[in-house]
Amino acid sequence: MLAGLTCLLVPSLLPAQLQMQKCMICHGKRDFRKILDSGEVRSLYVDLNMLQKSVHAKRICVDCHSDVVEIPHAEPPKRVSCTRCHYKGNPEGAPQTDAYLDYAQSVHAIEVAKGNPKAPVCQSCHGTHDIQHPKKPGSRVFRAAVAATCGSCHLDEFAQYRGSIHGTAVAHGNPDAPTCTSCHGEHRVLAPADPSSTVAPAHVSATCSTCHAAVGIVGKYGIDVEQVATYQESFHGVATKFGSRTVANCSSCHMTHDIRPPADPLSSVNVRNIPATCGHTGCHEGANANYAKGKIHVDPERPEAGIIYYVAAFFKYLTITVMIGLALHIALDFNRKLQALRKGGHE
Amino acid sequence: MSEQEHLKLVEELARKIEGELTSEEKQAISDAGVQQLLLERLAAEVKDEARTRARHARKAKEEREKKVERTFQRFTRNFRFQHMVLFVSCILLIVTGMPLKFPDWEPLQGFIRLLGGIESSRLIHRIGASGLIFVAAYHLLYTLLSRFGRRDFWLLLPRWKDITDVLLQVRYMAGWSTIRPRFPRFSYVEKFDYWAVYWGCVIMIGSGLILWFENEAMSVLPKFAMDIATEVHSDEALLATLAIVIWHMYNVHINPHVFPGSLMWWHGRITEERMKEEHPIEYEEIVSKEEPEGGQK
Repeated sequence: MLAGLTCLLVPSLLPAQLQMQKCMICHGKRDFRKILDSGEVRSLYVDLNMLQKSVHAKRICVDCHSDVVEIPHAEPPKRVSCTRCHYKGNPEGAPQTDAYLDYAQSVHAIEVAKGNPKAPVCQSCHGTHDIQHPKKPGSRVFRAAVAATCGSCHLDEFAQYRGSIHGTAVAHGNPDAPTCTSCHGEHRVLAPADPSSTVAPAHVSATCSTCHAAVGIVGKYGIDVEQVATYQESFHGVATKFGSRTVANCSSCHMTHDIRPPADPLSSVNVRNIPATCGHTGCHEGANANYAKGKIHVDPERPEAGIIYYVAAFFKYLTITVMIGLALHIALDFNRKLQALRKGGHE
Repeated sequence: MSEQEHLKLVEELARKIEGELTSEEKQAISDAGVQQLLLERLAAEVKDEARTRARHARKAKEEREKKVERTFQRFTRNFRFQHMVLFVSCILLIVTGMPLKFPDWEPLQGFIRLLGGIESSRLIHRIGASGLIFVAAYHLLYTLLSRFGRRDFWLLLPRWKDITDVLLQVRYMAGWSTIRPRFPRFSYVEKFDYWAVYWGCVIMIGSGLILWFENEAMSVLPKFAMDIATEVHSDEALLATLAIVIWHMYNVHINPHVFPGSLMWWHGRITEERMKEEHPIEYEEIVSKEEPEGGQK
């Protein structure tokens, strides 16, 4: 129907490919460009070859640029709206997804609505004429490419992430290591200050635990899966659970984008850096080398905890013994007193 | 009453009412059947009167006995004050501390929210801690400086008799023997309570201060020492809470002797009967000291 309507509007009844060629008369020229009011030069060249290798190979220009009705264009064509086709139940053959609804809640969409010209829309991440299926290596949102795509705006975070254990693992083709979207979400990216964000202080440990508590994921690489549990049982974890937003969560010590293994001298949790990490302003001011003397993630129920394991075991058996003794004494006393009362009642 | 006496009574009665009765009625009184009836009524009246008088006498006697039932001052006002500060502090500490030990238990999470979140529950915990530290320090001074404090501390020290008392008491409670141990001022149960609180205070205040002033503590203590303090604080808290909830609750509330609760913590007095029953040695000591002075009993 869309194509039919276009045929009526565009003063030509040529078949689709011929119509494309008509656009390419101008847009096929490599030096076809426009100088904007700001003085910025904007290329208007479209690589037809690239378009025909994209997921939209079978589409023609006006399928997306539906506001183009005459040549030369009286009005500058508006930004393409992907939701013309990309919604659940669409008859166009586009993937059946409601991803744009998630996007609408994201911090990106909120910024767009505020009129921030730098805030991203669909095309900013997925690409325009070069759009590829996200599972294909050429896609801008393919696993290996996500960080660079996000990093085109979030430069500092990208630089930190690239050096982190997660970034290097992804770069080496590790299929389990996280990229930006693994923690922040894909379309529904929320600001960390938003309480429902996956990276909000209250949710950080749960987000990390999706991999770091899973034997099937980090367990494969010999990484301890108890770290999240031991955190959640520690005072930091308990206070977080009870609503404190000033105590440490995973990323307070391990950092957010610049997460490095403890053996790395640049790591925030390297033995030499622990005092500075704990001594972070507002936390344990004046932290010294004592903070690194002992395990950080302690599970008192495992012998690896050393002396803490033995202290916990001592109290466990002390409590059990004392309670059994007291309960027996109570039971005997109660029984005897009831007997005496019953006898007294009969006499 | 013999038959003759009965007859005499009836004749007397007849004489008393002579003027008021007709000759026919007089004739009737002398009849054996009417005489029997009169006697029975009289006897019933007398019996009834005797019963009423006896009841009144018994009641009056009971009332008198109640008034003179002796009580002994078991705990001084100073000691009761210490106990009150102790239990108020402990309640505050337990209700704000246990949720941290069992954070996954929903009702406890709700309770912390009710208190106004973790920050205010920490404040309440530290108010409780200050109370406990105060009463511990106060009690140390009390044991040193007060005459009663020194005496009670001496009497609370564990002795060989306590062990034999445990064995005797268990034998008695199990029903293998009718002999009950005779306790002095403090039985082994009370000594256990006292020393449990002593040990609890040392552990909880020691580890608690480390956790309270964690930055200061860690300028001298390594991380694993902090972990030990955390573990000890948490585990001893559970032990103490269980001891209070199970043991102390039984001894002063549920125990059939005191149910639904003893008010000794409030007035500090113990009745003579319970004194004889539970602290016979102390009772005898007090009474034997009184006699030369010509005491009441």
